[in-house]
Amino acid sequence: MSDAIISARGLTKTFLSGDRRIEVLRGVDLEVGAGETVAIRGESGSGKSTLLNLLAGLDTPDAGTLTWAGSADTGAKRRATYLGIVFQSFYLIPELDALQNVLMAARILKGPGATELARAKELLARVGLAERARHLPAQLSGGERQRVAVARALMNAPRLILADEPTGNLDEQTGGAIIELLLGLSAETQTTLVLVTHNAAHAANCSRQLMLHAGRFG
Amino acid sequence: MPWYFYLALKQLFPTGRRFPFFTVISVVSVALGVALLIVVLGVMGGFAHQIRQTIIQTEGEIQIKARGSIGNYHDVVRRIEAVPGVAGASPYASGMLMVVYQNKPSFPLMRGLDMASIGHVVSLEKFVTAGSLDALDDDAVILSEGLADSLGVPIGANIEVYTPLMLARRDSEVILPHTVKVVGVLRFGHQELDKSTIYCTLRLAQELYGLVGDVHGINVRIQPGMKEDEVAERINTVLPPDARAFSWMDSFADFLTVLKLEKNMMTFVLLFVVLVAAFLTMSLLLVLVLKKTREIGLLGALGASRRQIALCFCLQGVGVGVVGTAAGLGLGLTVLHIRNDIVRAITRVTGGQELLARFYQFSELPEHIEVRDLVVIVTAALLLSTLAGIIPAVIAARLKPVEALRSE
Repeated sequence: MSDAIISARGLTKTFLSGDRRIEVLRGVDLEVGAGETVAIRGESGSGKSTLLNLLAGLDTPDAGTLTWAGSADTGAKRRATYLGIVFQSFYLIPELDALQNVLMAARILKGPGATELARAKELLARVGLAERARHLPAQLSGGERQRVAVARALMNAPRLILADEPTGNLDEQTGGAIIELLLGLSAETQTTLVLVTHNAAHAANCSRQLMLHAGRFG
Repeated sequence: MPWYFYLALKQLFPTGRRFPFFTVISVVSVALGVALLIVVLGVMGGFAHQIRQTIIQTEGEIQIKARGSIGNYHDVVRRIEAVPGVAGASPYASGMLMVVYQNKPSFPLMRGLDMASIGHVVSLEKFVTAGSLDALDDDAVILSEGLADSLGVPIGANIEVYTPLMLARRDSEVILPHTVKVVGVLRFGHQELDKSTIYCTLRLAQELYGLVGDVHGINVRIQPGMKEDEVAERINTVLPPDARAFSWMDSFADFLTVLKLEKNMMTFVLLFVVLVAAFLTMSLLLVLVLKKTREIGLLGALGASRRQIALCFCLQGVGVGVVGTAAGLGLGLTVLHIRNDIVRAITRVTGGQELLARFYQFSELPEHIEVRDLVVIVTAALLLSTLAGIIPAVIAARLKPVEALRSE
């Protein structure tokens, strides 16, 4: 069994666009160890988000293998405990306040008890939103929403956080603060981080940088 | 509470916000459908119930009729009263008459009542609006309110009574009418009975119709909790061969069948209103699924199963059904409660309250809703609302998280 938190071998993904076959990923290999922070960079359309979806088990590759801590089980149930995902568009549930959005990750896993409630409050405090716990997403700024999303990703104490361009919808300063928060929390909680980003400065803060070009790491 | 239940509730009734458009429109449409069903079935049931009450209050639950007349009726009444379940029996004679007051004729139905036993079957006293039942003797009559009004007869006036027997006499004889005194006016609240009926003693009716010691029929009151059909069957075993006992339902079987058929047809037709409401809920839920495609993707990414996502949307249909049905029940029962105020308000504007009474037999809009009807309405509304949630739920569950997250 591998020690890698996540291991991908020969991941290939092709999309059909009309009659055209577009090979987005061409045999990507990736291995990320515990506690590592890995930045994946690349041009638009280079397949970064596709790769992240495959790594998260949200999509299935045409070829190749994926394991999480050596296990090929990448189903929904395991994803809930093993992974935390941060999206570019936050994807908060508008009817729920910040606290309930964070707790939703625990709700899906099991009914949240006092421990989970305390952890959600603690995470919100950690991302600087203790005072905004009862605010709805519509009452929060973009940066605050993304901080709620970060707290939600950490709710079930995952071993791996996958962040797909988490600063894409934020201004430079707010984006920088979010990356700093993500890196700080991953270091603090010993959580592995895979960060997909356009931003070279953000990538430079990670322990390893990978460049995706034409469907392969180059 | 499972997350899908919690989220369904939150999406229907978000905290700290007004009800969303989807919830209000869906709930109101279901509620209106349910309320409409309750009001219509309640009023239709009221007509049937009122008719039953009127029949029972004026004739008892069981009527005994013969092809001709029933002889030796004292003995027959005694035998009937000995039948288990019978509370009382009262013989009667009936037929058409001509009455004349100040040269104004009318042709009412005569009911000759046995004053000694009528109280065991019918409480006529409570329907007397003028005069007194105690004053009714063999030279007096009581008129229905409509007849008294149409003839313009005051209490204490004399009227002339002609019977068909008088017409059958030889032409050399002079036809002399019977002169009787009007001692009271009755009002049952049923237009047909109140329109043109004359009440007299059994002895006078027998005399007018030449029934020497015979009667036309016997009305029977049964004990509370007894079944009319069963008691009628038992009475039949003690009756003379040409007489037969009919429950009020047998006597009005055709009418009751028509009423039941009408009610069933109305239920069927009005269920389409609830069906339309369910389609509205479904279309709004489909819009919701489209609007929330990315959230559905997120739920999948957070580890929710397809079954759970389907349940989340299906439960919203159920939620709409539960709240809409409850609101509809409240609204429908309230409208039924104040129905006569509403009718009065409408007729005050449009006129025609008398017409309403004339054509629909009753001076007030009746109401009677059966528990069985409510169960049918509630079950149908809940079932249709649940079904309305299933298609959007299946569509939501079939969305792949990655495609849902990518959707614009």
